[in-house]
Amino acid sequence: MKFAKLIRRNLFRNKLRTILTMMLLAVIFFFVATLLAILDNFENFSNAGEGANRLVVQSAISLANLLPYAHEQKIRAIPGVVDTAKLQWIGAYYKEKSNFFANFAVDVDKFPTVFDDYKVSPQDLAAFQADRRGALVGVDLMKRFNWKVGDRITLKRQIFPFDPELTIRGTYVHPVQTTSVFFPMEYFQQSIGNQGQVGTFWVKVADPKQMAAISQQIDAMFKNSDFPTETFTEKEFQQNFMSMMGNVKLLFTAVSTCAIFMVVLLAAITMSMSARERVTEIAVLKAIGFEQRLVLAIMLSEFVLLTVIGGAIGSYGAHFLFIAVDAGKMTQGFLQNLGVHAKTLTICMATAVGIGLVAGGFPAVRASNLRVVDGLRRVV
Amino acid sequence: MGTLVDINNVRKVYKRDAFEVPVLNGVTLAVPQGDFLALMGPSGSGKTTLLNLMAGIDRPTGGSIFVDGKEISRFSETQLASWRSRHVGFIFQMYNLIPVLNAFENVELPLLLTKLSKKERREHVQAALDIVGLGDRAFHYPRQLSGGQEQRVAIARAIVTDPTLLVADEPTGDLDAKNAEETLDLLQKLNADFAKTIVMVTHDPKAAQRAKHTLHLEKGLLVEGAYGMETAAHA
Repeated sequence: MKFAKLIRRNLFRNKLRTILTMMLLAVIFFFVATLLAILDNFENFSNAGEGANRLVVQSAISLANLLPYAHEQKIRAIPGVVDTAKLQWIGAYYKEKSNFFANFAVDVDKFPTVFDDYKVSPQDLAAFQADRRGALVGVDLMKRFNWKVGDRITLKRQIFPFDPELTIRGTYVHPVQTTSVFFPMEYFQQSIGNQGQVGTFWVKVADPKQMAAISQQIDAMFKNSDFPTETFTEKEFQQNFMSMMGNVKLLFTAVSTCAIFMVVLLAAITMSMSARERVTEIAVLKAIGFEQRLVLAIMLSEFVLLTVIGGAIGSYGAHFLFIAVDAGKMTQGFLQNLGVHAKTLTICMATAVGIGLVAGGFPAVRASNLRVVDGLRRVV
Repeated sequence: MGTLVDINNVRKVYKRDAFEVPVLNGVTLAVPQGDFLALMGPSGSGKTTLLNLMAGIDRPTGGSIFVDGKEISRFSETQLASWRSRHVGFIFQMYNLIPVLNAFENVELPLLLTKLSKKERREHVQAALDIVGLGDRAFHYPRQLSGGQEQRVAIARAIVTDPTLLVADEPTGDLDAKNAEETLDLLQKLNADFAKTIVMVTHDPKAAQRAKHTLHLEKGLLVEGAYGMETAAHA
């Protein structure tokens, strides 16, 4: 493009101001990209069981209240239910609290049917099911701690009064949940001496269209019992789990919007100053034949380039940072596999272009509408 | 020689808030092709306004302006911009070079609006810089040039498209005597050797003496003219 040099030179005409503005944009976009990545992470977590046709049955009172084993037989008898498995969140950690990850006690014999989206080799599954203290570990967690199959690990208690001592018997692969540990329900129940009660039943349903009806049927069945239930789809359950932290999505969106609005105002000030300083030059360009729309295009290109460079530094900076740094470790396991992915980068870059157009639009239009004689009057 | 600029009963009124300020009150003037005309007059007499009107960067309130047979006073803003790029070269008192571009790039600016190839543009720019004697300063930025050199770069920018008309508004107003002389020498050379039609606004009688003809304006009227033109005041 013939005018690229003019645009580039004008962009860096006041280097300090341009660099400071870019740094400001970079910091804001780093912040926004990180918030969006966290929301994305939560969303992935919520969608982890999508398509798996699973319902989660918990106590109607709260997730912390347990349900009796006896419920399971009745649930399994409902037409359309393929199978059920007991699952208990343990909440233990490895060595230090910063090494936190999801760990569950589960019915090992039901694992392959109810959790059929977790891919496990037949050998690993057999070894896992055969060992009362065997553990099945997500591949990313294996990498994180350099574990190997056969390693013995001890998790430390946080909720229940026992420290699970486990032997890794196999690994699993899953599109989202790649950092969890499963071990036998029997070991957990015997260790805490609380046989007969569990936190959740996971229900595999044959037909996804029947999920709503079966869900209602389960809750109706236990409505008047001592242990009423509340049944969710897996996605609802995960979302409820996340909502225990409050309306994070609304909070993050509000904070991001405020940050973007602030950067629009600051960019608009910078761009207005830049345009005002060049009134005479713009008049000269128009005098020698640059049409209004060409002047507008050149100025907008310059302003958009400014915001795009700043936005790219910030959002790609976040992208590469989360590749290089284990956010899971930094957040004590809270944010596993955090990453600024293509979708977030696209949103950030589109927002950067938008900020350039919005913040630079007014000064660019004003400059391009300038009458040549008015612009030259300062010096002629 | 034929007439290049034909101005007929042109009036210009500026609006300042609720007030109307008449600047030109019916000027009629014909500038022949190949002329070097100096416009003189006190501040506020309308000489720069007249120059701006014949250069197509301002529009008259009344009357008509023909340049090279085209009535530019009827052109739209877009048509005027396109026309200026091909037919008018501007020389300003303060040179008005783009500070972030070097001499070569400043001179190249008007050519970016043409369909010339990069190689052709380079040849044109080099030729223009050679004419003004700055072929060896092509890659110097304005801040690295003296005032006289800056003005010569501005002249190179004005002639690089080989325009029909050169307009110069106080081209020596910001220069010392030596550089002013050199600039006027250059304008005379462009007029004599390249047959460029030049209209120059100046306060300086010495500069005006270098022109072929001189016209005086007062209160928006031509009061005396080398062509013996009729003006509204004399009609």
